[in-house]
Amino acid sequence: MTTFANALASAAVVVTVAAVVVLWRRRLRSILVALSIQGVALAALATLLGAHEHDGGLLAVALLVLLVKALLIPGLLARVIAATPGARETDPLVNVPASLVIAGLLTLVAFVAARPIVALVGGPTGRLVPLGLATVLIGFFVMVARRRALSQIAGLLLVDNGIALVAFLVTSGVPVIVELGSSLDVLFGVVVLRLLLARLTAAGVRDLDQLRSLHD
Amino acid sequence: MNLASLLTGATQLALVVLGGPLLLGLMRTVRSRLEGRDGPPVSQPWRDIAKLAHKQRTRPNESSWIFPAAPLVLVATAATVAVLAPLATLTPPLSASTDFIAVIFVLLVGSVSLALAALDTGTAFGGMGASRALTIGALVEPALLVAVLALSLPLHSTNLIAIVAEGSAHASVLVGPSHLLALGSFVVVILAESGRLPVDNPSTHLELTMIYEALILEYSGPDLALVTLGESMRLAIWFGLFVNLVAPWGIATHAGALAILLGVLAVALKVALAGVAVALFEVTTAKLRLFRLPELLAGGFILALLGVVTGAVMR
Amino acid sequence: MVYLLFLAPIVAGFVALVATWQPAVAWLGTASSAVVLVLGVGFAVRVESSGPVGGGVLRVDALSAFMVIVIGAVSLLATVRSVSYLTEEVASGHSTRRHAALYSTLVQGFIAAMLLAVAANNLGVLWVAIEATTVVTTFLVGHHRTPAALEASWKYIIICSVGIAVAFLGTAVLYLAGVHAGVANPLDFTSLAAHAATLNAPVVRLAFTLLVLGYGTKAGLVPLFSWLPDAHGQAPAPVSALMSGVLLSVALSAILRLRVIAVGALGPSFPRVLLLTIGVATLLVAASMLLAQRDLKRLLAYSTMEHMGIMTVAAGVGGPLALSGVLLHILGHGLVKGVLFLDAGEVLRLEGTTRIEALRGLLSRRPAVGALLALGLAGLLGLPPFSIFVSELTMLRAEAGAGLWWVAAIVLVVLAVILAAILAHARTMLFGPSETATTSPVSLSAPLGLALGAAVWLGIVAWPLAHLITLAAKVVA
Repeated sequence: MTTFANALASAAVVVTVAAVVVLWRRRLRSILVALSIQGVALAALATLLGAHEHDGGLLAVALLVLLVKALLIPGLLARVIAATPGARETDPLVNVPASLVIAGLLTLVAFVAARPIVALVGGPTGRLVPLGLATVLIGFFVMVARRRALSQIAGLLLVDNGIALVAFLVTSGVPVIVELGSSLDVLFGVVVLRLLLARLTAAGVRDLDQLRSLHD
Repeated sequence: MNLASLLTGATQLALVVLGGPLLLGLMRTVRSRLEGRDGPPVSQPWRDIAKLAHKQRTRPNESSWIFPAAPLVLVATAATVAVLAPLATLTPPLSASTDFIAVIFVLLVGSVSLALAALDTGTAFGGMGASRALTIGALVEPALLVAVLALSLPLHSTNLIAIVAEGSAHASVLVGPSHLLALGSFVVVILAESGRLPVDNPSTHLELTMIYEALILEYSGPDLALVTLGESMRLAIWFGLFVNLVAPWGIATHAGALAILLGVLAVALKVALAGVAVALFEVTTAKLRLFRLPELLAGGFILALLGVVTGAVMR
Repeated sequence: MVYLLFLAPIVAGFVALVATWQPAVAWLGTASSAVVLVLGVGFAVRVESSGPVGGGVLRVDALSAFMVIVIGAVSLLATVRSVSYLTEEVASGHSTRRHAALYSTLVQGFIAAMLLAVAANNLGVLWVAIEATTVVTTFLVGHHRTPAALEASWKYIIICSVGIAVAFLGTAVLYLAGVHAGVANPLDFTSLAAHAATLNAPVVRLAFTLLVLGYGTKAGLVPLFSWLPDAHGQAPAPVSALMSGVLLSVALSAILRLRVIAVGALGPSFPRVLLLTIGVATLLVAASMLLAQRDLKRLLAYSTMEHMGIMTVAAGVGGPLALSGVLLHILGHGLVKGVLFLDAGEVLRLEGTTRIEALRGLLSRRPAVGALLALGLAGLLGLPPFSIFVSELTMLRAEAGAGLWWVAAIVLVVLAVILAAILAHARTMLFGPSETATTSPVSLSAPLGLALGAAVWLGIVAWPLAHLITLAAKVVA
């Protein structure tokens, strides 16, 4: 096992573990820290790939990922937390131990679902795809199992980071423009969500729990 | 089994029996100093044991043979593991059959016997302590087994000696993500198994929160001395196993006297460092409320599971 | 040449952004939609005579031209209504001029994004375009800025972002399959379709499933559909009309294009099973929600889900006949549903509610609005001579013709249940004790009536679109 493969795997593992931490911790600030670390790990992974394949574009993407996912987005969300009094902890619909067990099951599902890709790509990158897929699934689960608006955004970011991980791993020669697009797109999405949150606050809604008016 | 390996086993046993209480003393001293107290000397647990051994023994009226037998079982199981486990050397007796899972279950027999003894007393505290201890045990065991599975993946073997030997031979195994995740889970497991913060506060006698102290509340005199000795041996064994899984440097790879002496020194130093680290951690941590414990232990479980998945994808 | 498509919406959107809002600005939006419709017809003529226009990233083939016509027609309808809607909003003080201007800009951006999506010949561009529609419409859904509207837009962007993320994953996986098969341009629809047989089958299976789930979110398909009734119920009527009438169909047309690649790589059975399952599940969910519906706008939203389900089932069956049925259905449904949502908006304005129970006797109290509602619902239920009758019949014939009798049977049974449910709701709304009659201004009724007329015209003669639909169905058959 080469050092490159080991380092790559460690970065991918950090991404997945950060997703588990988002599910594990209740304090919103810890969740932001986990997201930030996830961003750093993604950037590290992209740097490793870029250095390994002498791909300058990928290095630029790594820098962008670092800026957007590790600094900008968590910073933006930290300001949301600071601006929302009383929002310190998540509000789990599914209790934490059960969530973690489900996360474990999802990881196994990801392992099975990713088999075609692993079979096709293989090598030090392709075999890590299950970890990316697991992050995506855990992100979905965070979105349905946690109530607060910020948790839902965190879930969405997990989904996105997981997808970015898969994209980096399977298509390291990817058109850089697509990666750029997706990173900027996430930023864009978060800005939109932030605007919406601001409008919700302006309309006197403090928590998504108060939003129960629309149903059949 | 030849004479050399028997001697090695005896050395390890002596190390654990002598060193266990000292480890406990060291951790207490570090905590006291950090909290601004002078605290007892490092050898205090030994003095306690010696003092207790000379005191009169009292037993609850309702108790059966289980109550006096439990401390013996506790010490005997710990001693068995101390002889067989790769603590100072990779050449203890019966090394070909030292299965990790077997080691865990031998240690488990010790904790279960203590819980049975607590039930045997028929007191409210005994029952409460037993129930809490077994709850934690039931949560810890799966995490531990999955962590063992993760550690065993590179070798396809759960032989504890082989796993440690692989780490000492190839340093790249030690920094592999699967190995690190399993060890992360191991930290949680050890803190829970040995009743340290944030799972249990070893220095409390507050009735509502204590777990381990409630378990042994009825013991006195020589029985309590045995329990204290057994528990400190278990602590030393867990720490010893852990440090050798993290960094098996210095462990004796053959049965030479010098190598084993070096191995003893190395493991003593590493365990002492681990003890100081845990004491530091305990000073900065508050005990978790009992109903939050499953969250922590489930976290340990999921880390181990991720370790298995990572190990499986890395093959 | 293809870039001409985006010129009108961009100009109109830009003007709305910089100029002080006044009705003329809204009329400019209408003009832009008219230009889009004319361009669609122009492209259709060009494609019919000399094949697809453009190449590379943007390419207009028969399907694109047809979808441009649909976008042009429905957005013309919606933007005409937007003029009076915004004028009233501004006059009554519900919206500031600033908000009205933002609305006009966003609607033009929405139309431009949909045009980009149908003209895209590249998986990446398609993805960006569909994502752009999400971002833009989020603010349109929340235009009223009431807690309910904001809740709807929150749900909308969260769920659609998930869907779009899944679609991105599918795109990346499909790209991967293309790269490994040595396809020269592995994000290109035409290259992928041409080399589909060489793609790795298990990977394409995963990619197609992810893409159908992802884009299916925007098309209102099971399982991620719960944004749909809320967003349609809370958005301003013209926006609901645009979303229901075209946005969902645009997402569906993307699935149609992807299906070609999947069929090429996997053979017909896997895409068929997947689309039939999702389509039937969507139909069943829609039918169950329609039975006990209490709100007119939500009723219309679930009916849109029903129609998306019908079209997905037909797309699963495949073949030129079923697909030309799907395409005709897209246009017919777009027109009728557009009319109905705009009419529902008028109901909301006049009655102050869209609760079905509160709308008794609409036909006698407000003859124009009531009559449009009655005719629109008749068209929606597929009664002759509306085009939905023809397209539903075509799709059922194709299903039976492909030997999938049980599929046709399920669809027919569900349609019958929905017919009964909607007729019961319609009876509640339309008939009842008579009071003084009040009529709507002609300016509203005329375009809606014209659109319904077009739907009837399509149903009876289908000229001049028959040839274009045949060509477009061949593109994705």
